[in-house]
Amino acid sequence: MAPLLQVTSCTKRFGGLVANHDVSLTIESREIVGLIGPNGAGKTTLFNCLSGALHPDEGRIVLNGIDISRARPERVCRLGIARTWQVVRSFGRMTVLENVICGALRRTSRMGPARARALELLAFTGLAGKEDVMAAGLTLADKKRLEITRALATAPHLLLLDEAMSGLTPMETTAAVELVRRIHDELGLAICVVEHVMEVVMPLSHRVIVLDHGEKLTEGPPAEVARDERVITAYLGDRYRARS
Amino acid sequence: MTLLLQAVADGLQMGLLYALVAVGLTIIWGLMEMINFAHGEFMMLGMFGAWGLSVLLGWDPLITMVPVAVIMYGAGVLVYRLLMQRVQRGEVFTQIFATVGLFFFIQNGAVAVFTSDYRFVGKSLLTGLSGTNLTLGGVRVGVPLLVGGLIALAIFLALYLLIDRTDFGLALQATSEDRDAAMLVGIRPQRMYAVAWGLGTALVAVAGVILANFFAVYPQAGLSFTVMAYAIVALGGFGSILGTLLAALLVGVVQSVTAAYLPPAFKDAFVFGSYILIGLFRPQGLFGRF
Amino acid sequence: MAALAALLYPIPFEQSGYIYYETVGFLVLLNAMLGIGWNIIGGWAGQFDFGPNIFFATGAYTAALLSIHFGWNAWAGLLGAVVVSVAICAAVTYPITRLRGHYFAIATVAMWMIAQPIGATWELINGSRGLFIPVAPGKNLVHGMLTMEFPGRGKGLGFYYLALFLFVLTLLGARAVERSKWGFYFRAVHDDQDGAEGIGIDSRLYKVIARCLMAAVFAAGGVLYGFWALAVFPDQVLEVNWNILPMMAAVVGGLGRLWGPVLGAIILIPISQLMTATLGAGPLAGRGIDLIIYGAVIMLIAGGRPNGLLSLPWARWAGRLVGRAPAGPAKG
Repeated sequence: MAPLLQVTSCTKRFGGLVANHDVSLTIESREIVGLIGPNGAGKTTLFNCLSGALHPDEGRIVLNGIDISRARPERVCRLGIARTWQVVRSFGRMTVLENVICGALRRTSRMGPARARALELLAFTGLAGKEDVMAAGLTLADKKRLEITRALATAPHLLLLDEAMSGLTPMETTAAVELVRRIHDELGLAICVVEHVMEVVMPLSHRVIVLDHGEKLTEGPPAEVARDERVITAYLGDRYRARS
Repeated sequence: MTLLLQAVADGLQMGLLYALVAVGLTIIWGLMEMINFAHGEFMMLGMFGAWGLSVLLGWDPLITMVPVAVIMYGAGVLVYRLLMQRVQRGEVFTQIFATVGLFFFIQNGAVAVFTSDYRFVGKSLLTGLSGTNLTLGGVRVGVPLLVGGLIALAIFLALYLLIDRTDFGLALQATSEDRDAAMLVGIRPQRMYAVAWGLGTALVAVAGVILANFFAVYPQAGLSFTVMAYAIVALGGFGSILGTLLAALLVGVVQSVTAAYLPPAFKDAFVFGSYILIGLFRPQGLFGRF
Repeated sequence: MAALAALLYPIPFEQSGYIYYETVGFLVLLNAMLGIGWNIIGGWAGQFDFGPNIFFATGAYTAALLSIHFGWNAWAGLLGAVVVSVAICAAVTYPITRLRGHYFAIATVAMWMIAQPIGATWELINGSRGLFIPVAPGKNLVHGMLTMEFPGRGKGLGFYYLALFLFVLTLLGARAVERSKWGFYFRAVHDDQDGAEGIGIDSRLYKVIARCLMAAVFAAGGVLYGFWALAVFPDQVLEVNWNILPMMAAVVGGLGRLWGPVLGAIILIPISQLMTATLGAGPLAGRGIDLIIYGAVIMLIAGGRPNGLLSLPWARWAGRLVGRAPAGPAKG
């Protein structure tokens, strides 16, 4: 079966800086893929290329057989990729419900069904009861939850989560991991998670891809990747070993 | 063909003056990404300054440049401190709206005080020279406009040296690159912003003083210069001083050539139209850094 | 409910026999309507449009031309005017949707400034000599409502009701849009354009749609004005007042709120008329001074509330005065 997402030799430069160099990867349907790497490895740039916010200078990105390398973000979303942002985004002047409705309107133009779908998803992600709160007034954890809910409302095939756990307390992190699991199990999406928190991404992912200095270092099952010498060196330098 | 060359020559000279009009905007924009709908109004005030002092005291506009520069510098700082400082933290919409209010206030203030009648600077060094020409290769170059243009160029270069070679200019550039980092090395952004506004206002007012030698002085003169200044800044790549000069020369030529072949009412239309086209095809300007 | 109360409110005006007040009412309604239209692009979509009056002009001219050359009825002309204006709007707006914030604003000014020489010199519309709309003196009020032609004495009254009708239409239309997908998408683009694109909203398209809705409203307003003035001159219809008053009405009343421009117009127009009446020292000076005051008011509002031009106190106090609940953001 063809992979859901196929990235071939993606290269992205900003002036003299090569943020992504010749990165190739695939994501299958219903997979959870972790994307890790030290700071500056090019993870968010890659996400931006996948979601259409940026376009690769070289290489191709193919989603479900359609080339989206040059597609605008709204088209990419329509074709089935939804994302959250490193710095959480929401429509601050709208309520929680209205935010999600905006997402739901991607799939249905009528307000009735959009509203119903939004309410459903809010219950699913645990924001029930907060529908009429202004998005700007939410806690960080809830804002992230809202962002995910809104992304889910667009009925994506692939959900990109960019450091969704950053800034959360341990308890909030556990709840978030739970949510990601439920999204995967019950909604059947593929999910790609960029994360720095190893305790989160390793247990969650079926497969892990490691970026370093803009290039793909290695990929494989989490346990293998964690033991890989090159990965350890990239993160920690030569003199340390990871705790397993 | 000579008509074309003539138009180009005229356009280049006007372009020098336009560069002076636009450079104030470049500085303010480059520093704080702020729009000023009232930019042309300050130019208009400079024009009235030239006219007023010429009528009241018989001063030549070339002399008037100095007091006008000083006063308008103060005015710019005042506008920043009283108004723009407050809206800087808010939405872009509010910033635009604030300067729109300023625009109405100044323009109609001028109407109330001066009425909309056209005024002219009667006797001045430059108008006295009108009629004298240099002829270069079959093209007539009017001396007054040439002198005016060269004065503008001189001021422009002085500004460039200020920004590029002095500590102060360096501080200005630093603040525009990274406001927080600038603060860390002891630069006070608020002070930089106020100075930028003062400088920008003074420059455009001085441009007005020079332009008063050649154009009619009336309250509504400002808006089309505001739009033209924006077209120039957009073409020149938003924040690049040399880019502004090149773009202004280009705009001057375009306008002049348009006026040579189309009815005079349309002379600005091409310039404004090109602003719109830039938005479509090359948002970072012809000489943009992005 | 609350809307109905406000609808019935202006009716008593027509009982007084004073034409002048009816004209003021007419202007209030016209500007309120235009303000609502401007609110769509300025308040909801958050794009500062400083040149809406070009569509006011295209509306007036289209209807005038249709009436003069083809003898079209005013309402047919209105339809034609709206269609033409929206088409022009879509064509000219799409290129500038790439521009954000200030640059978009300046582009709209640029359009306005291009429109002026076109208006003054284009032979099709008689340039600055203006177009005169051939209007037969109407027979009675009902006939007048259908053709916008009123008997001399009934003109003030008739146009008041026409304005009321179009105003209500605009209000209802805006309300419908506010609660629809379009309304949501406009606000999304305003709040966070990149975020909006990330959830599948084509920001360029919706900016165009928002501006076209505004163009439609302004075109209709232009037609109404044209038939009221019985002549269309470029200076008149491209006049800056048709920019600034709707804009101010929207802002003063509460940017982004449906009733905001209405409140704003009710406050501003009588003030402007009052100033014209009392100052009276020559038409130019009079008009100049109210613009000075507007400018000062704008600066005060902008400086006083930089993080939100929502003039909340007004809406709340006015709400208490009229005895209804304050207008909240429409939901559900």
